Amino acid sequence: MFRRIRKFGVAVLALSILLSSAASAIARENQTKYPLNIVSAGFATKLPAKPLRIISLSPSATEILFAIKAGPQVLAVDDNSNYPANAPRSALSGFAPNLEAIVALNPDFVILNKDSAKSDAIHKSLTNLGIPVMMEAAARNLSDVYREITEIGRAVDQQAKARNLIHTMKKRIATVIKTSKRIKSQSFFHELDNTLYTATSKTFIGNVYRDLGLINVADSASGADSSGYPQLSAEYLIQSNPEIIFLADAQYGESVSTVKARPGWQSIAAVKNVRIIELPADIPSRWGPRIVDFYELVAKSIK
Amino acid sequence: MSEIQLKPIWRWQWTLIAGIFLLIVCAVAITIGPVQIKTIEIIHTLLGRETILSDQERSLLIEIRFPRVALAALVGAALATSGAVYQTVFRNPLADPYLLGAAAGAGLGATIAITVARADFYPSLPIFAFIGGILAVIATFLVAGRLYSDPGSLLLSGIAIGSFATAVQTFLQQRNSEVLRPVYSWILGELTVAEWSSVRWAALYIFIALGILFSVSKILDALMLSDEEAFSLGVSPNRIRIIAVCAATLATATAVSVSGLIGFVGIVVPHIVKRLTKKATNRALLAIALFGAAFLVLADLGARTLITPAEIPIGVITAFIGAPFFLFILRTRSKNL
Repeated sequence: MFRRIRKFGVAVLALSILLSSAASAIARENQTKYPLNIVSAGFATKLPAKPLRIISLSPSATEILFAIKAGPQVLAVDDNSNYPANAPRSALSGFAPNLEAIVALNPDFVILNKDSAKSDAIHKSLTNLGIPVMMEAAARNLSDVYREITEIGRAVDQQAKARNLIHTMKKRIATVIKTSKRIKSQSFFHELDNTLYTATSKTFIGNVYRDLGLINVADSASGADSSGYPQLSAEYLIQSNPEIIFLADAQYGESVSTVKARPGWQSIAAVKNVRIIELPADIPSRWGPRIVDFYELVAKSIK
Repeated sequence: MSEIQLKPIWRWQWTLIAGIFLLIVCAVAITIGPVQIKTIEIIHTLLGRETILSDQERSLLIEIRFPRVALAALVGAALATSGAVYQTVFRNPLADPYLLGAAAGAGLGATIAITVARADFYPSLPIFAFIGGILAVIATFLVAGRLYSDPGSLLLSGIAIGSFATAVQTFLQQRNSEVLRPVYSWILGELTVAEWSSVRWAALYIFIALGILFSVSKILDALMLSDEEAFSLGVSPNRIRIIAVCAATLATATAVSVSGLIGFVGIVVPHIVKRLTKKATNRALLAIALFGAAFLVLADLGARTLITPAEIPIGVITAFIGAPFFLFILRTRSKNL
């Protein structure tokens, strides 16, 4: 009898040891081991320890850092990183980074956008000075976004938070896509500026609309420009008769009333039915966690 | 040489040919577009007769295509004429609206409107461009004017002012990268958003400027000679120069403010016309204006149809046609000499 109890006890003990070691193994897996070698956008760098003085020179990376609770590790962000409001915005330019100004702040990790001026030279110089740099390429689709979140999460030792963020984003986007599937597909025009520059389905933002089953009137012009941002002729736009117009240039003064006032536009279905959506500033041009808000906003407007 | 050039040699045949050419080009331009509409229906629409066109096609023709052709013609006439006048005034065959800082000043004015003033002032962009162009020319005159001796110093100060304006513009663009796209597409040159209101507005200023230039064109030829000879003919060189440059700048700034920076029209067209009309300079001004209009209407036809339904910036087309053609002209000319 006792023996049996003892046996049972040993079994419980063994099981509990096994479970706890598994748990700590997961915890260890969540923790980044330094020194860490990372390769991003084709550029390699080495992080000697967990970064605590991060400089982000990309508004999208800034939004990611704060969303994975790495905010306290961030030293400074570039002049266009206006979200979240508590990000330590500085005069540093993300567009044309100034090497001396970056070095003067004594960072231990820099996130640099590949499209910024002379980004490869800046990367090389910072690396030579012993400052690790992550090169960030503009995301082309959602999996690029998730990859960037994962990479940043690993580099700044916030892997669990990064995984959670991706999980939440995926879940919310799946919900939006599922409900939008029930609505019949509609045509739209995404306006970048009032000279009718637009984005085709090849672009990051074009993917969002495609995911939601919308038809992009710019797609017939996708051969015109390798990056997917052609300029449409006004005649074509009027003839293509989009059912919805999204104004990504609302932050530059375009609005429902300015669009309605454009000569010749009264015959467009979107104008007739006043289905003109003024998009919020910055969100459509960034690939941060707020892209989910953009999915939800577009989905709401097609109902 | 000088006496021959001062004889009235108004080449009315060439002016007539230019006029007919412009009419043909305009007719072609309004019949061809990204959206196909039957020519007969377009003629009916033009004559105000009943058509079988849908409302959409009608508004497309009347509100989009017609004003665009009209605006291209106006801008072409303005740039070609002011180019010819600049070339005469500065006795420099390479002078064009881009010297003197006129175009760069207008560009800076528009950039300030977009970046500093932001959304609230967006509709006032043309006014800012105009003020910028005029201020740049005044600055050019202030730098060179007091010490005025030769046209060279005026050109040099124009280049300096132009570079300064471009530098400030670049700085503003860098500091305001979020509005880079509107500034950029505007700089490349745009007729894509032509509408009747901008046509009316541009026509007013361009016709005033061209009227002044046509009326002083006979005297302008005297400036092709030396200042002394101009004086001896009873012409005050500096006064004529100021009047001509102000009018040409008014035309340029108006053109720039409605269409962005479109290069090469101001150089290519006057040179072609002067060759055709056997170097009758400013008395061929009307022919230059008409050919300039036709040239830009054709270039814009390319801009809106070559990669339809997308657009090519018209500045790209004018430079693409203009630069090789200009080189050709230069070579054949140097062989003849």
